[in-house]
Amino acid sequence: MGNIGYLTKEGFRNLRVNKLMTVASITVLFSCLMLIGIAFMLLVNIEAFISGIESENVIMVYAEMDTGEYDYVKLGNDLRALGNEKIASVESIDKDVAYQEILSEMDEQLKNYLGSLNENPLPDAYRVTVKDMSRFEEVVSEIKLLDNIQRVYENSTLARQLEGIRTSVQYISIGMIALLFIVSLFIISNTIKVTMFSRRLEISIMKSVGATNSFIRMPFMVEGIIIGIIAGLLATAAVWGIYEFALGSFTSVLSGFGKEIQIDFLDYAPYLVAAFVGIGIFTGVFGSATSIRKYLKERKFVELED
Amino acid sequence: MIQFSNVSKKYDNGTHALKDINLTIDKGEFVFVVGSSGAGKSTFLKLMMREEVPSSGSIIVEDKDLTKMKKREIPKFRRKLGIVFQDFRLIPNMTVFDNVAFAMRVIGTKEKKIRRRVPYVLSLMGLNEKARNYPQELSGGEQQRVALARALANNAEIIIADEPTGNVDPQMSYEIVDLLMRLNEAGTTVIMVTHEHSLVRCFDKRVIILDKGTVVADGGSLIREAATSHINPISEISNEYVVPPEEDYSAYAAQNAAASQTAENSEPVETSEEFIVPGGED
Repeated sequence: MGNIGYLTKEGFRNLRVNKLMTVASITVLFSCLMLIGIAFMLLVNIEAFISGIESENVIMVYAEMDTGEYDYVKLGNDLRALGNEKIASVESIDKDVAYQEILSEMDEQLKNYLGSLNENPLPDAYRVTVKDMSRFEEVVSEIKLLDNIQRVYENSTLARQLEGIRTSVQYISIGMIALLFIVSLFIISNTIKVTMFSRRLEISIMKSVGATNSFIRMPFMVEGIIIGIIAGLLATAAVWGIYEFALGSFTSVLSGFGKEIQIDFLDYAPYLVAAFVGIGIFTGVFGSATSIRKYLKERKFVELED
Repeated sequence: MIQFSNVSKKYDNGTHALKDINLTIDKGEFVFVVGSSGAGKSTFLKLMMREEVPSSGSIIVEDKDLTKMKKREIPKFRRKLGIVFQDFRLIPNMTVFDNVAFAMRVIGTKEKKIRRRVPYVLSLMGLNEKARNYPQELSGGEQQRVALARALANNAEIIIADEPTGNVDPQMSYEIVDLLMRLNEAGTTVIMVTHEHSLVRCFDKRVIILDKGTVVADGGSLIREAATSHINPISEISNEYVVPPEEDYSAYAAQNAAASQTAENSEPVETSEEFIVPGGED
């Protein structure tokens, strides 16, 4: 195939000749891919957020405010008594230490004010680390039965609530991606069809001098692939921009829930680019292949005029 | 050699375009195919180009049975044919050179060979000066010569010309047939479809007359005259042979003969020696 150069040149020429159509299809394909990208990044984030919460194996057990030294130690012993196979560690958190920790994170004025009150609003607490995550729920309910407990704090409830959202987000994203994918395919094949119609003279000559169908098809495929690649790259850039912007406004909201989950777009960028360019090439090849096959089949080179 | 044996073609819409055609065209022959519109001329050509397959019968072109030919063999088969259309089919945004080169490029010919071959076929058609022009800058006759050059570019063994003179003036029509004739003298089989009886009469070549899907006459000039006189009255009723009005080509024949006497060496087109080896480049 010494003709790759020629065929590629022809593909680019098609793009130039049908400027408006090219711009239109790149724009629409770009929008589709961008939406796919946004859906994907949303899915990735929710996924990461939920699994982050789920993997948190810590239960905070707060003792009642008026619990005496004896009862507090007893609570600790009770927690340890839950068994080695369930509990990895039980760590006592002194309320004064905890309070100082919290104060140190506050700004100067508030810190001075609270410090001057000389009163500690925090209860004593234990940090229980669960060994076997599958028995997390069981451990939580057992802890709740113990005496002198004001509150048991864990994230599993939140995780369970999010579980429902995750499933629907998954379905919606996948549905959306599939739909947009079909739309993309349609757009590219339509562009190719228009190009082909505008070049029917050349096609009829090619057929009459004995060019193979694959040779006739090639420039149109190249055209589809180029459209796909350009739209793919633009979409990646756009998703990146939108993601960084959204991350700025959402992290503050999300950081409220336990540990902060930061997903760097650049970690996923290669996958997105690969997927987008892949979709571009796929739609380019199949979009053009189907429309060309139909075209070549229907159109005889003898009748050109209609 | 082209051989039609009991060929019939019926289209899906019920049109019975050709009925039991039997004919043989030998290698190196020059044949006019004449008939009014609807006589089956274009179906005849389409079958020969393997655009269509016959409903029954067999067609053999250059030892290949077209009815048994696989789809993927068609492009290779067509490279043996040089097809010239009534509407020239030149690509408007390509120069004359590129139009001819296009036919070679799309079948994967090396650029080096194209650069040698194209000027050669253009010189055969007397178009060397016009290589850089665009089709719209040329006269109808010149455009048809470009189309002819393109048909020759790939060393066609058979030239199929579908009404090549339909869109050019009478003087040029004569010259185009003359060119075809010279190509034929060099060994190329030429099949020219036309409805211009008066043009055909100027050349003493085999004429196949189609009417309503059957061959009503096939042979040399004498038989042709007889057949034409038989056909014409019928056709005048259907008003098909009278449009366009018949031209008197004999005047051009005489004129052209005189011209070629005087300008023998200045125009390579006019000298038949140039045509001896149209494919001799390779």
